[in-house]
Amino acid sequence: MLNILVCVKQVPDVNLVKIDPATGSLIRAGVPAILNPLDANALEAAVQIKERYSGTVSVITMGPDQAAEALRECLAAGADRAILLSDRAFANADTLATSYVIAKAAEMIGGFDLIFCGKESLDGATGQMASQLAERFDASLLSSVKRVLSVNEREKVVMAEREYTNGTQTASAIMPCLMTVEKTNYHPRIPNLKSWKASRTAPIERYTSETIPGLDRAQIGDPGSPTKVPRTYPLEKGPGGKMIREGSAAKDAAKLLDLVADLI
Amino acid sequence: MTSYNTLTPEIAEQLCSIVGEGRFQYGRAVREEYSHDEMPIYGRFLPEAVCLVESTEEVSAILRLCYEYTIPVTVRGAGTGLVGGCVPIQGGIVISTMRMNRILSYDMNNLVVHTQPGVRLCDLAADALAHGLMYPPDPGEKTATVGGNVSTNAGGMRAVKYGVTRDYVLAMTVVLPDGQIMKLGKTVCKTSSGYSLLHLMIGSEGTLGVITELTLKLIPKPRMDVSLILPFEDIAKAIASVPSIKLANLDPQSIEFMERDIVDSSASFTGNAVFPTAINGREAGAYILVTLVGDSESELAAKMDRLGEVAERAGAYDTLVVWTDGLKKDVWAARSAFLTVIEAETKLLDEMDVVVPVDRIAEFLVYTHDEAEKQGVTVRSFGHAGDGNLHIYCCSNELDEEEFKRRVKRLMDHCYAKCTEFEGQVSGEHSIGHAKKEYLRESVGDTAYSLMSAIKRVFDPKGILNPGKVCHDPEGGAADA
Amino acid sequence: MKKSEYKDIWVYIEHDGKKAQSVSLELCCEARKLCDASGEMLVAVIVGKLSEEEREKVVSCGVDRLLCVCGTGFEPFSVDAYTELFTVLCRKYKPSAVLVGGTIDGRDFAPRFACRLPTGCTSDATQLVYDTKTGDIEFIEPAVGGKMMAVITVPVMRPQVGTIRPGTFKYQPIGARAFEIREEHFDFPPEKIRTKVIGFLPDELDETLNIADAEYIVCVGNGLKGADTLPRYRELAELLGGKLACTRPVFDRGVLPYKLVIGQSGVVVKPKIYLAFGVSGAVNHVTGILDSDVIVAVNKDPDAAIFGYCTYGIVGDMDEICDALIAELKARH
Repeated sequence: MLNILVCVKQVPDVNLVKIDPATGSLIRAGVPAILNPLDANALEAAVQIKERYSGTVSVITMGPDQAAEALRECLAAGADRAILLSDRAFANADTLATSYVIAKAAEMIGGFDLIFCGKESLDGATGQMASQLAERFDASLLSSVKRVLSVNEREKVVMAEREYTNGTQTASAIMPCLMTVEKTNYHPRIPNLKSWKASRTAPIERYTSETIPGLDRAQIGDPGSPTKVPRTYPLEKGPGGKMIREGSAAKDAAKLLDLVADLI
Repeated sequence: MTSYNTLTPEIAEQLCSIVGEGRFQYGRAVREEYSHDEMPIYGRFLPEAVCLVESTEEVSAILRLCYEYTIPVTVRGAGTGLVGGCVPIQGGIVISTMRMNRILSYDMNNLVVHTQPGVRLCDLAADALAHGLMYPPDPGEKTATVGGNVSTNAGGMRAVKYGVTRDYVLAMTVVLPDGQIMKLGKTVCKTSSGYSLLHLMIGSEGTLGVITELTLKLIPKPRMDVSLILPFEDIAKAIASVPSIKLANLDPQSIEFMERDIVDSSASFTGNAVFPTAINGREAGAYILVTLVGDSESELAAKMDRLGEVAERAGAYDTLVVWTDGLKKDVWAARSAFLTVIEAETKLLDEMDVVVPVDRIAEFLVYTHDEAEKQGVTVRSFGHAGDGNLHIYCCSNELDEEEFKRRVKRLMDHCYAKCTEFEGQVSGEHSIGHAKKEYLRESVGDTAYSLMSAIKRVFDPKGILNPGKVCHDPEGGAADA
Repeated sequence: MKKSEYKDIWVYIEHDGKKAQSVSLELCCEARKLCDASGEMLVAVIVGKLSEEEREKVVSCGVDRLLCVCGTGFEPFSVDAYTELFTVLCRKYKPSAVLVGGTIDGRDFAPRFACRLPTGCTSDATQLVYDTKTGDIEFIEPAVGGKMMAVITVPVMRPQVGTIRPGTFKYQPIGARAFEIREEHFDFPPEKIRTKVIGFLPDELDETLNIADAEYIVCVGNGLKGADTLPRYRELAELLGGKLACTRPVFDRGVLPYKLVIGQSGVVVKPKIYLAFGVSGAVNHVTGILDSDVIVAVNKDPDAAIFGYCTYGIVGDMDEICDALIAELKARH
């Protein structure tokens, strides 16, 4: 029985986030929170392995209460168990602090053979979580997995194809192994009515900084995060080019081709 | 027998002075795109001139001139039609409405929008949503203009719940062939006031007048929606489920059917295999896609339960729930790509847009596939299972064009005859144009066809508006005499 | 932790024995400027054997010291060995910063040794600024899908670790200067390596997917209405004798393959003419196109950021302009 963990994140749909032109700050109102798209691919890979070798898939996330909705989406798509780590003390965590909390909580609920996470998140997009989670779990790391070829539970070896520079690498790793997944072969499944319904009422296990045993408060949230964001600023607009305004698409096209005629 | 005049340089100059040089194309400046729509198999006919109009007054001035000189005038929107409706088969000029693309105003008390005809459907739909409202007609071609939608009485995926374009047109401004400007309809929901010229104009394919402004009805947008995919063993089983889905009191917003091969093509075309092909080890041969709307999750959940039961009884392999925004976007993007996928994969293409009673869809499709096999033509289909409107595409990559046309003609002769036998209609939403005239006549019969021709003559005695379309024969055939 | 005990900026030189990765050389050149500002030494860390020629290339970036590591367990690359090596080296030498190329391997091990030390790690900065007041490096990077810029610092911990994408900085060697070589021997026990490379299959070369050297590029952005509108852009690219490409969101929508993504997380291009249709102009993308000779932007939003970077701009419907360009090109042929 494989014990599989998928680490997910609920993110704002950054494609819909707008910047207030007056203040330069983010307009978050009305922007839907979604399951990080690449996490859905990671979950699908995990569920496929469970179906092939038998086991359980747990999903874990750190975030506000609303992040439960992302977990329900995972439950509908084949996860068996959902864990939400929610506490104000976790706020402003960078990847180092986040990976610490997730690993500590995971330790509490059992050892995992395989851990999956998305390649990067839509909002933070550092792509560092996998590497640091692997460190926290003391797991081997296979990033950019295109296809999991085999899982040998007895020998504790997993074999996979990875997207590598200009080609496909086949590699094996000793379990526990953490994998990030390419989306090509792991499109998120559409849940059936039964799983969807179950996911709407399934229990979500909730933990806070108080209920995760042995948590070092110096290592969580803002105090536990060595990277800081002292400031953000709006993009400087470039100087801009020559605008073509000839009155019709056809005339604009003709004008443009005249302007670049030397280069064609 | 009508004899049309060609454009003289003098008339061209007058036309040019109406719209201005920037919006006038004449002679060699006329772009090739105006010679066809999305079904070039029906021939390419280049107009002598194109006027990109911006106002009712311009349209009126152009028509007055063309009426005087008996020059054919064909109105064109986005050119996304499939029956040659906007193609100037008798030459003359084309009036493009693409620059009349402003949404004029919303009346939030009466839930209507005033708009110019050149606004694209997708833009109107998005703008209405931003106002918290929904424009219910939802034809597959989102880049078509609303003017084109009204002229063809376009239907689309939501017709099963909300009806078709006709049901949402309250009023319009129209220019008659002689240049007179007329307002039809009022911003009210009822009328019992004489013959409805408004409804005569809707679906008349630009043969009776030129629509220059529209007042359309909107509805509050539904709070929540969910789509469900029902995979079936084959198309017959899929279609057979439709009557029971309709009877289950779910008031679905749409019930679409799709065959497996087109789902596969769409997946490889978009690179996104959203529709599952193997369900619990069984290969799906066809799908039904249902969209339900409601005010709350519990209301939708109850409806989904009922749909699940109906689907299971009907032999669906499963009931899949498209709940998240991401999945919805993917599923509907795949559905919307169907026609494009067919166009991309096919060299020679023709189509039928028949409507048959819902309980005869499967029978009709089986018949069509059998006939197509006899003729050596590939047939691909999808469409609106909820209202019996089928989009059947005849494709070939091997035949030469003449041979393809001969075979498709034989195939269509049989299919349209079968459609008539089933008490169906020649076209559900793509219209007649010049491509389906013959089949229209056979379907409605000589008496009705003659009445249509007579109505055309009342509006357009000189036959200058979109000549040769729907029921008009510029050569003066029997019904036109 | 006393920050003052940590000095020198390290650049990890990723190589395959024959050639040093260009990103490593780019980083040396950029780190040189930081060192000039901070008064620290620029240290290039080379693990395993690198040819003399390639070492010279590294040195020519103005390196003050080569830290050459020999020992077993580092060939082929493994996350386990390199994580431990850099942990050990950082503890011993206490560099103030370690910069690593954002390659597949670099992104795998750099955040991990940062975690083991532990210290802060940043990724994908597009600008590095030395702050003389604090002595910190400001890692400046696009945030929220490239809608704004964020300054990231590691104000307390050391070293400051950062992975930087290939192509972000320019390889402009300022010439060699006096430098020293320090050798370090470290063996990593092979039994502690948990991953094993079993095989490698090079991608089949699909020319349409090779956009890096294309002379003309038609790029579609998130303004793209759907996959069904793509053929016209492909046609325009073909008429120009160029290639079709896209922005990241288009790939995310599943419309085009990843190899066609231009920008920080994709390919950096330098065509004669780059035509952007429905591209908003997020910095992550713009980073990848700035070396184009001519940038043409078509967008329906007159305020789109892309117009700030373009040579020529057209406000209008992307499909219409594309069709008009196709028609005009055909008419001229």
